[in-house]
Amino acid sequence: MSLFTHSWLPYIYLYGVGGLFFFLGIIIIRRAGALKPHLKRHRRWMWILYFGLGWYMAIHAGLIFLAFK
Amino acid sequence: MDTFHSIGTSTDWVVMLFYFIGVMLFGSYFGRYTKSTTDFFFGGRRFSWWLITMSIVATGVGSHSFVKYSAKGFEHGISSSMTYMNDWFFVPFFMFGWLPIIVYSKVQSIPEYFEKRFSPSARFLATVLLMFYMIGYIGIGFLTLGKAVIPLLPQAFTFFGAQVDVTLMRAIIVIAVITGIYITFGGQTAVIFTDLLQGFILLFAGLMLFFLGISYLGGFENFWSYLPTEWRLPLADFNKPPDFNFVGIFWQDAVAGSIGFLFMNQGLIMRFMACKSVDEGRKAAAVNILFVLPISAVVVGNAGWIGKAISVVSPDIVSPNTSPDQIFVVVANIVSSPGVFGFIMAALTAALMSTVDTLINATAAIFVNDIYRPIKRLLHTVIPGKKARDKRELVIARYASIGVTILGVIAVLAFKNFPTVYEAHGYFHSTLTPPLVVAIFLGVFWKRFTPAAVITTFLGGVALMILGARYPAVLIAPFDHGIAMNPVHPYSYIRALYNLVVCSGVAALVVWTTPWQQSIVGWIRQQESKKQIVVIIAVVVSILFLMVIFNTGGLALLFLLTIVIIILVPIFVTYTTDYDEEKQTKGLTAATIDFAREGFKGGTPNDKQGEKVLVHWKLVDGDDSVIRFSKDDMRRMKAEVGDLVYLCDKRKWLGGLKSIHSQFGEPHDEPGIVYLTAEQEEVGLFSKKRILEAEKEM
Repeated sequence: MSLFTHSWLPYIYLYGVGGLFFFLGIIIIRRAGALKPHLKRHRRWMWILYFGLGWYMAIHAGLIFLAFK
Repeated sequence: MDTFHSIGTSTDWVVMLFYFIGVMLFGSYFGRYTKSTTDFFFGGRRFSWWLITMSIVATGVGSHSFVKYSAKGFEHGISSSMTYMNDWFFVPFFMFGWLPIIVYSKVQSIPEYFEKRFSPSARFLATVLLMFYMIGYIGIGFLTLGKAVIPLLPQAFTFFGAQVDVTLMRAIIVIAVITGIYITFGGQTAVIFTDLLQGFILLFAGLMLFFLGISYLGGFENFWSYLPTEWRLPLADFNKPPDFNFVGIFWQDAVAGSIGFLFMNQGLIMRFMACKSVDEGRKAAAVNILFVLPISAVVVGNAGWIGKAISVVSPDIVSPNTSPDQIFVVVANIVSSPGVFGFIMAALTAALMSTVDTLINATAAIFVNDIYRPIKRLLHTVIPGKKARDKRELVIARYASIGVTILGVIAVLAFKNFPTVYEAHGYFHSTLTPPLVVAIFLGVFWKRFTPAAVITTFLGGVALMILGARYPAVLIAPFDHGIAMNPVHPYSYIRALYNLVVCSGVAALVVWTTPWQQSIVGWIRQQESKKQIVVIIAVVVSILFLMVIFNTGGLALLFLLTIVIIILVPIFVTYTTDYDEEKQTKGLTAATIDFAREGFKGGTPNDKQGEKVLVHWKLVDGDDSVIRFSKDDMRRMKAEVGDLVYLCDKRKWLGGLKSIHSQFGEPHDEPGIVYLTAEQEEVGLFSKKRILEAEKEM
């Protein structure tokens, strides 16, 4: 039985649509001048934000692989 | 479906009793630090990130509850963790948009933001919607608490010879009385510290249950092999079944829920406001969402996963027909020994109480700030003198807590007929959050978003949402992503997408047609009968809105009436509201945060990176509004007179409890010494002979 609709399809939707909101957020706060990458402490926060997205993508992908193992 | 009563032993009840007494004493100890409404609601804006992170755990875990996630874990497996692990998408907006704005603009509640950013009428509507949201949330909390304790109680008590049946509502009323007493006399500082303790205990109790369950099943490999593959997957099936599907929950929870939780949950926002600075708030949010939430997902859902595994190998021990909302209690009782079970149950119920406490405290804050104070101003009966006013407001806050608790119990009636708490919560979020979520979000990130647009979003958006709720097969179906419609509870989750789309659509439409509204209003102003015209518009809108609410007509007619509402409301608001875009967006949108910082400080921020310094303190007479350091210490901190300073007890484990915010005064010549007045010593709760740490804020 194919479990694509139970695994990778929601994964793609989650990080496709969710990712769109995430990067829209980054663009908006940068263009608004709320996030200032030239400041060291803001740059650190920007990397933490990217790390967070990658962190969750990795956790979900890892769990899907583990489920099929 | 199998339901249970009288689970547990007398040892468990003794453990639970001692746990509750211990937690209440702990909270009462810190409740003595509540001296004003600022302390009662915001804990004095003084705490470190780690304390707030752990305090949020109890609130978050409690609200998302062991009961509902264990239920979904039992029915669907690891995908019960979905909602704990989809909150990161809107964090950029929160960290660099909403958080600095609420801190620097010094708003005390979300409706107050609406008045500053838009108009008093926008604040009024936001207050109404927010009160619905908060009281509904309290109702969900009480419902969950009731469902958690019912399996522990017998079916009936004999009381003075009379038999009293134990029903859900009776259990909830008793719980509400205990919760109300605690929050009424504690306040935010007590809640934060109680939650801190319970945050640790909750994680410990939940993980202990997981390890006990794994051990019961003979190890992790056994546990994993017993679970069917579908139960092992971390995300639900894309669009089925209707009561638990990925795409519906994505829009309901990851989008509406996340924005709602981060942007309009007054309880959570008050936690962030209790942080000593914006950066500490960011740290608290980041650590909580990145690390604590995934652990919490295991903590709250594992009883359901263990229950499923046991039901596969031993259906005689855990029946597959066990009521999902009772699975947590059933599994905890099977895998733990007497006493340990009592401890786990005490941690669960105490955590749920924490959530409800926080929400009651937050709703009381909204009541005092957005209903009581404006009414006092309107009636010109404001009590003169800050101290006397503060004392009176503290009393009002406590009465408000009691009133809100009662309304929360009544709100349970709206949710108790859903098959599980999870669905009740999902329906609640999908329905109540979208108008406010859209209004706050666009208010913060879209400078052109006007009072006319926000009020039309509230009225026109809500009217379209009501139509969606009445005609889901016509209006929500185009958004359903293939989810089958359950006629009893149609589109519990995916309705959030429809609601978000109609609210955003109304908002955008009104903003883009602003020039037309202004020319119509210009024309009205030129008419001699301009006042009559505006009164007629107001009456027509009111009648049409009531017709939509009371469903007087078919879909086509009601849809047409809603369109007329969406056309007329902006004209009415534009005519009646004085709005200066430049002035009213300054410091209140993401693009103007620098102005907000300047306003917060009362001058240009000093961003030069200085050191933290350790100082002894001594009492002097003088100006209470400034703190005086030596020239040398100010040089090390790179501080100037008038800059903002944070001074706290050096002991890190206090998490900022003993601290004060102030401004640098004129320096003196005694290095290593800070001069404080008696009032500053009292506000900062400083202890004699203790070393303090000072840092320049900006």
